[in-house]
Amino acid sequence: MARLSVDGVTKVFEEKGKEPHVVLENLRFDIEEGQFISLLGPSGCGKTTLLTMMGGFQAPTSGKILLDGVPVEGPSSERGYVFQNYALFPWMTVEKNVAYGMKFSSMSAKEKQEKLKRLIEIAHLQGHEKKYPIQLSGGMQQRAAVARALAGQPKVLLLDEPLGAVDFQMRELMQNELEHMVREAKITVVMVTHDVSESVFLSDRVIVLSSNKGRVVADVPIDLPRPRDRSSEEFDKYVFKLTNLVRRAFQERTDTTF
Amino acid sequence: MENHERSIRLPDNGNKVKAMQQKLLGVAVIAIIFVAWFIAARIISKPLVLPDFVETMQQFFKGWVDSRTMSNLGITLKRVLTGSAYAVLVGTVIGLLMGYSTKVMMAVSPIVNSIRQIPIMAWVPLSIIWFGLGEGPTVFLIFMSAVFPLIINTVSGVTGIDPNYINAARSMGAGTVAIYRDVIIPGTLPSFLTGLRLAVGSGWMSVICAEFIATSKGFGFLMIEAQERMQTSKLYALMIMSAIVGFVIDQLIRLLEKRLTSWRFKNGKAVG
Ligand SMILES: Nc1ncnc2c1ncn2[C@@H]1O[C@H](COP(=O)(O)OP(=O)(O)O)[C@@H](O)[C@H]1O
Ligand SMILES: [Mg+2]
Repeated sequence: MARLSVDGVTKVFEEKGKEPHVVLENLRFDIEEGQFISLLGPSGCGKTTLLTMMGGFQAPTSGKILLDGVPVEGPSSERGYVFQNYALFPWMTVEKNVAYGMKFSSMSAKEKQEKLKRLIEIAHLQGHEKKYPIQLSGGMQQRAAVARALAGQPKVLLLDEPLGAVDFQMRELMQNELEHMVREAKITVVMVTHDVSESVFLSDRVIVLSSNKGRVVADVPIDLPRPRDRSSEEFDKYVFKLTNLVRRAFQERTDTTF
Repeated sequence: MENHERSIRLPDNGNKVKAMQQKLLGVAVIAIIFVAWFIAARIISKPLVLPDFVETMQQFFKGWVDSRTMSNLGITLKRVLTGSAYAVLVGTVIGLLMGYSTKVMMAVSPIVNSIRQIPIMAWVPLSIIWFGLGEGPTVFLIFMSAVFPLIINTVSGVTGIDPNYINAARSMGAGTVAIYRDVIIPGTLPSFLTGLRLAVGSGWMSVICAEFIATSKGFGFLMIEAQERMQTSKLYALMIMSAIVGFVIDQLIRLLEKRLTSWRFKNGKAVG
């Protein structure tokens, strides 16, 4: 059985005085345990909408999202979520933020303490435990947010453009760190991105969504050994192929709705 | 709306000199006004309208050691504290509920918005009818002037919280109580403290007025008394004192603000 299933999901936004906006229509795919999946697609194609439904923050208009066969109904600690702007609690120190991820878990206090120490290490945040988010660099905030989402031992980790706000030079560095963190945690990951090279670097599989009702344009497994070499010819081939697919995904809107 | 920061930056060391200079300028202007007053009082020579500067200063310094003045100031401050405490209690609860629940907002905001249009002094006659003379009406008036800034700022604090903070907490297993305790309340605190400053400030202003009419004790009463006895220099001295007390109260709340919300400042130290 798939770890996470998107089972005929449709999402329609209705606003008064406007045509109903069909963002996603009858979307269907499965994600196997331990896979790193990227959802790639043009801006506005419904990636965040899909991810928030996986997170349980909003419900599909029809269809279901299943985690180990059980329909998702509302947020839960089974699904860790890293928001586009991280949403670290600004009034909590790094340590307290990360610890919050396991605050409601059944671990003993001692276990939590050990786990916290471990997570701080994995996220390279030693020495910054007592700082507040505002005092951290973007990279540290991102790592803290991932550590917090991993703390509760979720079955899947959902990442919404986790590197979206990071500048180009930092990006590759942070991609390496992100890979390192999720590999250690051996966890199923769904990441939303619009950065093709990022998706190739991190994913086992890239799903390209179209601007036209989020149709799955392509489902591309990335068969490259890890850690991946961004300068290899193979890598470039994937980037080239996916770039074309994204272009097509974007044009679908122009073809069908105008 | 990505990454919108709700942070405030304190002036760093380089700006400290500048801030110092600005403060000095402020002090200089006050000094100039005092000198002008000193000269004008001699020229006009109508102490009932503009009292002698030196005499006023004598009254002013005497005021701080005069037991009657101080005990009346104490009475007034106690009223402000009591009235503000009630306002905090009521304002926070109403504000949190209004901010978090659209239903409560819809139900309560018309009444809140109409009551707060009533000028605070318009409550004086009614408050005397309700509470008689003395503590009752003054505390009530402080409450009425303090509660609305608290409600409004608490509401805007709650509604200004990034919904993703709440989503994040829920995805980590937090229930409603935990969300209030760990997200809504700390997230609202900065705005609440701004409200508190406004509330205590307007409480301090309205208590003096209330004491003109509704009581025979307190700082405002001393002012009316000085006016009736034609002790203008004392009246001036009391007014300067009331400005200073108001300023000190405001600074104290600012200090509290910085301590409680140090997480908003880049150079803030983690506490606890
Ligand atoms: N709450 C909402 N109400 C109405 N429309 C929405 C809402 N959320 C998203 N949308 C619309 O759905 C579309 C997809 O948005 P989103 O999922 O954020 O795209 P992406 O993350 O792929 O850039 C956009 O056209 C957006 O305007
Ligand atoms: Mg998005």
